[in-house]
Amino acid sequence: MTRYVMAIDLRRCVGCQTCTAACKGANATPPGVQWRRVLDIETGEFPDVQRTFVPVACMHCADPPCEDVCPTTATKIRADGVVTIDYDLCIGCANCVMACPYDARSIVHEQEFAYGDEPMPPEALGADHSRLSVATKCNFCQDRLDVAAATGQVPGRDPEVTPACVNSCISGAMSFGNIEDPHSNVSQLLQQTKNYRMHEELGTEPGVYYIWDEA
Amino acid sequence: MAVQEPRSVRKVPTYCFNCVAGPDLMTVKVVDGVATEVEPNFAAADVHPAQGRACVKAYGLVQKTYNPNRVLTPMRRSNPRKGRHEDPGFVPISWDEALDMVAAKLREIRARGLLDEAGLPRVAASFGHGGTPARYMGTFPAFLSAWGRIDYSFGSGQGVKCVHSEHLYGELWHRAFTVAADTPHSRYVISIGANTDVTAGPVSVKRHADARIRGYKRVQVEPHLSVTGACSAEWVPIRPKTDPAFMFGLIHVLVCEHPLVDLDVPFLRDRSSSPYLVGPDGLYLRDPATRKPLLWDERSGRAVPFDTAGAVPALTGRYTVAGAISVDADDEVHQLGTVAGTTAFTKLVEHMRRYTPEWAEGICDVPAATIRRIANEYLAAASIGATIEIDGRTLPLRPVAVTLGKSVNNGWGAYECVWSRTLLAVLVGALEVPGGTVGTMVRINRPHDDRLRSVHVGEDGFLAQNFNPTDRAHWAAQPTGRNVHKVLVPIVGDSPWSQALGPTQLAWMFQNERPADFNMPAPTLPELWFIFRSNPAIAFWDTHHLVDTIAKFPFTVAFAYTVDETNYMADLLLPEASDLESTQLIRIGGTGCIEQFWKSRGLALRQPVVPPQGEARDFTWISTELARRAGLLDRYVAALNRGTGGVAPLKGEGYDYSLDPAQAPGVDQIWDAVCRASSAELTQGRAVHDLDWFREHGFCTVPMSQLEWYLTPVMEAHGLRYELPYQERLLRVGRELRNRLHEHHMNWWDKQLAEYQALPEWHDAAGHWEQAVIKAGAKLEDFPLWLLASKSMQYHSSGNTSIALMREVALNVRGHAGVLINATTARRYGIADGERVEIRSHIGATYGKAVLTQGVRPDTLVILGQFDHWATPFAKDLGLPSLNTIAPMSLDLVDATGSGADIVRVAVRRMAEAAA
Repeated sequence: MTRYVMAIDLRRCVGCQTCTAACKGANATPPGVQWRRVLDIETGEFPDVQRTFVPVACMHCADPPCEDVCPTTATKIRADGVVTIDYDLCIGCANCVMACPYDARSIVHEQEFAYGDEPMPPEALGADHSRLSVATKCNFCQDRLDVAAATGQVPGRDPEVTPACVNSCISGAMSFGNIEDPHSNVSQLLQQTKNYRMHEELGTEPGVYYIWDEA
Repeated sequence: MAVQEPRSVRKVPTYCFNCVAGPDLMTVKVVDGVATEVEPNFAAADVHPAQGRACVKAYGLVQKTYNPNRVLTPMRRSNPRKGRHEDPGFVPISWDEALDMVAAKLREIRARGLLDEAGLPRVAASFGHGGTPARYMGTFPAFLSAWGRIDYSFGSGQGVKCVHSEHLYGELWHRAFTVAADTPHSRYVISIGANTDVTAGPVSVKRHADARIRGYKRVQVEPHLSVTGACSAEWVPIRPKTDPAFMFGLIHVLVCEHPLVDLDVPFLRDRSSSPYLVGPDGLYLRDPATRKPLLWDERSGRAVPFDTAGAVPALTGRYTVAGAISVDADDEVHQLGTVAGTTAFTKLVEHMRRYTPEWAEGICDVPAATIRRIANEYLAAASIGATIEIDGRTLPLRPVAVTLGKSVNNGWGAYECVWSRTLLAVLVGALEVPGGTVGTMVRINRPHDDRLRSVHVGEDGFLAQNFNPTDRAHWAAQPTGRNVHKVLVPIVGDSPWSQALGPTQLAWMFQNERPADFNMPAPTLPELWFIFRSNPAIAFWDTHHLVDTIAKFPFTVAFAYTVDETNYMADLLLPEASDLESTQLIRIGGTGCIEQFWKSRGLALRQPVVPPQGEARDFTWISTELARRAGLLDRYVAALNRGTGGVAPLKGEGYDYSLDPAQAPGVDQIWDAVCRASSAELTQGRAVHDLDWFREHGFCTVPMSQLEWYLTPVMEAHGLRYELPYQERLLRVGRELRNRLHEHHMNWWDKQLAEYQALPEWHDAAGHWEQAVIKAGAKLEDFPLWLLASKSMQYHSSGNTSIALMREVALNVRGHAGVLINATTARRYGIADGERVEIRSHIGATYGKAVLTQGVRPDTLVILGQFDHWATPFAKDLGLPSLNTIAPMSLDLVDATGSGADIVRVAVRRMAEAAA
């Protein structure tokens, strides 16, 4: 059994957005579309103020609300736990955008570029018209996971098959791996720490864990 | 259309050194000949302290390469009039025409001599952020060396935007151009305005994240809750520019509320000047025969020279000494007879007695109980007596550090702060030992790549330091550069870096206005000004007036990425191949700014990931062509052979890859020779790598002992003491400088001369900026708020303002949309979140959106980064405010080292009110 999950150590994150930028490069998302980003959250009143950085993206839920509301079955859960969108089936109805409690999905209807109407060469290379007018979101860099399945490499250990955001994280806040494997790095890390999942009360069984202290 | 399967994919190793926190190693993915994404270089994970990762800025380099707003062909100005409102009318020309224009100008200048009638270099050059442009200018340093005297004193931010006083005093006291915590071993860090998690790069972010997991405590002391504050255990919202009071309060607790035995007595006795005896005239008591400072030997019961074998120095007390002398300014010897000599430590205790936490509370708005608690936590965490083994050697472990940030350690009050910080380390024996406060590199001293080897024995048992002379015979009475650094700032020395570290704002100010008793030749305009990776029209202060000055420069040659606010005044734009398009080998490893502590040394190649866009040319090709056409080829190649630019000489022990001075070498030919020579030098000939090898592998390293992170073992080996707490040398130098200036009837530097104090006194540093308002004829109450600037990781120092990706991701971080205002303050002014506001100082206004927050003091506004562009494509449409637009330049705001600070009194109001 495999279920890929991400563990994010909030004690480490400095909100630098390196993961945001790396994701945009790796997935060639258009301007304004961020499959992942780091929230900058302020609580309290001066001078008793807390500022917290919380990376967010698709939580790859085991019971994803987006799947329930998808009228075309475009949203599915793979055997390895990755929640995917079949762009050929998606009709861009945005039900999933509304249903997702994590604000993880985007829909754009026109190709946009960083500097006006003309794409730069990497934008031209990465322009994917199949992503227009359909829902898009983080897919845990599923192409890399597929490579791992073929090569035997281990996501979360071998960079070539690890999500770009995890690879890029300069503080070492992000870990990735198979939670069904008790020896995987994420399983070990989650055992050693106190952690939670976002909006667990909704019963979505998210696949992203937030570490906040030692166990 | 879906994405096509690529025909070719390759990953090219290279480096990012866009800010001083680098270099960081990375790879760039190239798909079908197009650079598509930046990725870490995991091949470097074992040697690079950030494990082969670069920060968010590096991820903008793909867009930087393909930005359609780039200048991609040489351009000549067609409008002879210059100014913000004069369209330069840039027209494309060929490289031949452009280079011939520059070369003709250079030849014509050279024929008349390198210096003009004022004795100033006719050619000037300005490069941006902290020396990092040198990592992108190929062999241009060899061209500059071939030319000869050049004026580097027109700053683009250095001195006023950097941690300037830390640079100068840091090198004096512990060879620390920059200062860091030894984070991997630290348990308690007092971070005063040091925005480490923003400005210190991936290495630092990783080190501090590891430390948080390990359980260290960082206390962030600053007026707003920065990213670093957010990631700290505690935020202390101090009143702006009152940091010395806070630090004096800490020192008071340590030396006045604790017995001496609670401090590191052996360190104070043997590694500091604490036992030196100070006479009634405030100078050291000295042995009349040797002139050596005296200390009280408890064993013999008499005063003896400081280096007397077997002496047991008294740390505290007042002793009667007969027959001593003191040596004052201009070598004036005082025969003192029988006098009381007080140990420097006792002088310190007596000096600090008045600076109680209760006294500090009223100034810095931090409760006395908080100051006292932090001081005691610091002392407890210092673990005095603990040791640690590093690479087989037992060293003290003092896991406490104090770090300072921009505007704390530059400008008025900075001397007090850097002295306090270094003293706090000395008191607990935490200077330059594991866990403590450590330096990272040297720039005023040499060699630049090995600060431990820069240690030399100087006078009085302290580190040698090459001050600019202040004695009558050798003082430079006339400027050698337009910022007058050699005349005014002894401590900055006269190394190749010194000019750019001098009072760079004076170079700009004195072009327009000089004191009545200036009494030196009026500074001239440079006849040719080179500018690269620098935009002082945005990055300096009072930018409207600065632009007017730049517009007067008769011939400006700008190596240009896009048109910007400075090169808008240029006569020529030369498009150099940018980060991912050109070749350069640099040194990596060792210890470096800001927390680059490696366990290896090595070399890394930057290489063309993709061919240059348009007509952009490799900087090395440009440099060679300029040298050839200006008739400097032999001198240029000779400079290359010497290793000018920071890499190895091309001829050394056991190797010779020298280039022929009679031939213009090609770009690859040069870098192939550099690669071979530098790798031969690095490995003592064991592994010589050519350019092709570096293109494939990207970098090479050899191991280095972690002992090289710490200076104290070297100080011990030389029998040296840190020159703290008492600053007799600075006191004497200041008096001598005063004598020289007054002999020349120059009194306009007197305010700065007051900073030369043996033990810093509290003075109202913030008051300088308040007085500036009043002196300008304005009312202080009309400008009731402080405006500060803070840095941004996304934009920090790399000309990223025109990169769309940086804008997009930066907006996720609070403050990047405008000016940070305390929500309660905003409510008082009727300002809503997101509303456009005017921020006005007594010299002008800047405009942007209000970003309401609880994380800033009610009396303070904060602007991130440096914006308010009007020429740079993309950036000029962002509508962002900038402190620089409304921060004045004034002699009154320059401290004795020549630095200023990012602070100004302002008023804020809704745009609707401003328009009414």
